[in-house]
Amino acid sequence: MDGLSSNHNPIMKVEGLKMHFPMGNSYFSKAKSYIHAVDDINFAIPVGKSLALVGESGCGKTTTGKLLVRLYDPTGGHIFIKGENNELVDLAGLKGKQLKKFRRRVQMIFQDPYESLNPRLSIFDTVAEPLVVQGLGSLVEREEKAAILLEQVGLTPATSFMFRFPHELSGGQRQRVAIARALVVDPDFVVADEPTSMLDVSIRTGVMNLMMELADKYGISYLYITHDLAVARYTSQEIAVMYMGKIVERGETEEILGNPVHPYTHALISAVPIPDPAYKRQVPNIKGGISKPINPKPRCRFFERCAKAETICEMNDHPPLLDRGAGHFVACYVV
Amino acid sequence: MKQQPLLSINDLTMVYKTRKGFVSAIDGVSFDLNKGETMGLVGESGCGKTSIAMTMLKLIPDNAIIQKGQILLDGVDLVPMSNGHIQRIRWRKIAMVFQAAMNSLDPVYKVGDQIIEAINQHEDDINPSEARERVSGLFQLVGIDPKMMDHYPHEFSGGMRQRAVIAMALACNPDLIIADEPTTALDVIVQDQVLREIRNIREKLNMSMIYISHDIAVIAEVSEKIGVMYAGRLVEMARANDIFKRPTHPYTVALMSAFPSIIGPKTKLVSLGGEPPDLLYPPPGCRFHPRCLFASEVCREEKPDFVRHDDHHFVACWHPVEVP
Repeated sequence: MDGLSSNHNPIMKVEGLKMHFPMGNSYFSKAKSYIHAVDDINFAIPVGKSLALVGESGCGKTTTGKLLVRLYDPTGGHIFIKGENNELVDLAGLKGKQLKKFRRRVQMIFQDPYESLNPRLSIFDTVAEPLVVQGLGSLVEREEKAAILLEQVGLTPATSFMFRFPHELSGGQRQRVAIARALVVDPDFVVADEPTSMLDVSIRTGVMNLMMELADKYGISYLYITHDLAVARYTSQEIAVMYMGKIVERGETEEILGNPVHPYTHALISAVPIPDPAYKRQVPNIKGGISKPINPKPRCRFFERCAKAETICEMNDHPPLLDRGAGHFVACYVV
Repeated sequence: MKQQPLLSINDLTMVYKTRKGFVSAIDGVSFDLNKGETMGLVGESGCGKTSIAMTMLKLIPDNAIIQKGQILLDGVDLVPMSNGHIQRIRWRKIAMVFQAAMNSLDPVYKVGDQIIEAINQHEDDINPSEARERVSGLFQLVGIDPKMMDHYPHEFSGGMRQRAVIAMALACNPDLIIADEPTTALDVIVQDQVLREIRNIREKLNMSMIYISHDIAVIAEVSEKIGVMYAGRLVEMARANDIFKRPTHPYTVALMSAFPSIIGPKTKLVSLGGEPPDLLYPPPGCRFHPRCLFASEVCREEKPDFVRHDDHHFVACWHPVEVP
């Protein structure tokens, strides 16, 4: 039904993943309502490929990222990662030692390199920390490994950076440190949460190119979370568009951008400014503003803002994400 | 006959005095802005674009020193003006829209009252009901229900807050609006709505505008002419189409080729090596030379003048790039 078979060799496969945050929970009362931050999503990422998760703020893309690295415990669903013998291991239920072992394979790069690096740790300590946590290598080996990684991310010569502190580095350099830290344990899969949105244009391109080069070199797959469709196009082979906790459209990047089907994807694409003064964009066809998925009604999540909404959209539950051919998935009753 | 520009900035130079020395934030910036014209000012963080805006309104901190230059508004120089005098220019002649709308609205006052306060502050001879009426009109102009006047900022969505801040900037019918990254914090669909609103209002009121952004795509959408800043200097200025079709300064070229787009062929983006200079110790000569592919001896030694490259196209470079 969800057509996951189209991805023959997934490194990561998500089935029915849910994260419902309770609201107004206190010691004396039980939660009455839930935010359906991530609500029954499915996707698979092939080995060595990247999936961009795009959407507006509050659509659940960061929550999805945090679920994949198990910073949150999912309310429901499965997160499969390819094991050593090509079998799929469900991460959703892992605990303790097993979870820690898995963390070696899945890493995360955060948005803001000013917040994500500990100001009291030297660059060496920062990059080597995952090795310490995982108990990998001796001090000398860690030092070697950290030096290699720093060179890889373009902080050369590594020796001149090893014993500096984050405040001595620029934003771009800090993000490179964060990338080195994520890759030091040789992960197969990295969740990159808006890794370049805080960086300036001239620096941003360098970091994006670096991430793509490293992916090619080490066969890393990314879940690339971004609000910027142009960045998604540049970095990822596939795009999934999220709206209020649901994936509404997913497929190969150029296909989605060239032939968007879902009305929301349409609106999103036509709202992107184009760096060409002669280009005239369409007016995005969308109503109202984004709201929170608090105890959402059993109808299409996009119903209120959709210009093409019909009765069927209101009478039925959120439409399933169906293959419209060639791996282009759309969740819509009307189009 | 050439009309007198509304705003004319000549050789503006401003430094911040710090414990470590002088930070050269604006270095010899000159440009003109005609009535009804919109200029986009684009550059990376720390290039001095916000400093220019703040200097024009004299909203600069005590450690900022304007070393030389003129800011002529309708032929009157704002640089030597006293604070009291500037106060009469702010909002009535030049108004500003700040980046973080959340921070420019006071959470404990009703949005309408805050705009009325701005009007009262800058116009003595206005009675309360007139002011209220004007705010209601402004709300309609920027596309907010006038009933929202009596609501608090937290009841507004991000886009509405930004519209309210734009309404506030329009309150005293200024000749010039400086918009400093007004849509940067907004989601793309809301950004599109606010950009459309800004363009509508500008056309309706025939207002001049300086639009500051780091995003060349946004700049492309709103500006008639574009100035590119790097490390405190204006390095290139031309009509919007010319900047995009025939970028001439190597930095502008680099900026364009580092910017991804969702249309056109997918190309590998070229990243610019290095980092912008520390303006405490700006490099001698052209400030871009350490990162420039075309840098030669003269670039390392002498500062290039901001000269006319061709009609309406100015560039500060010893080796301007010729695009066929």
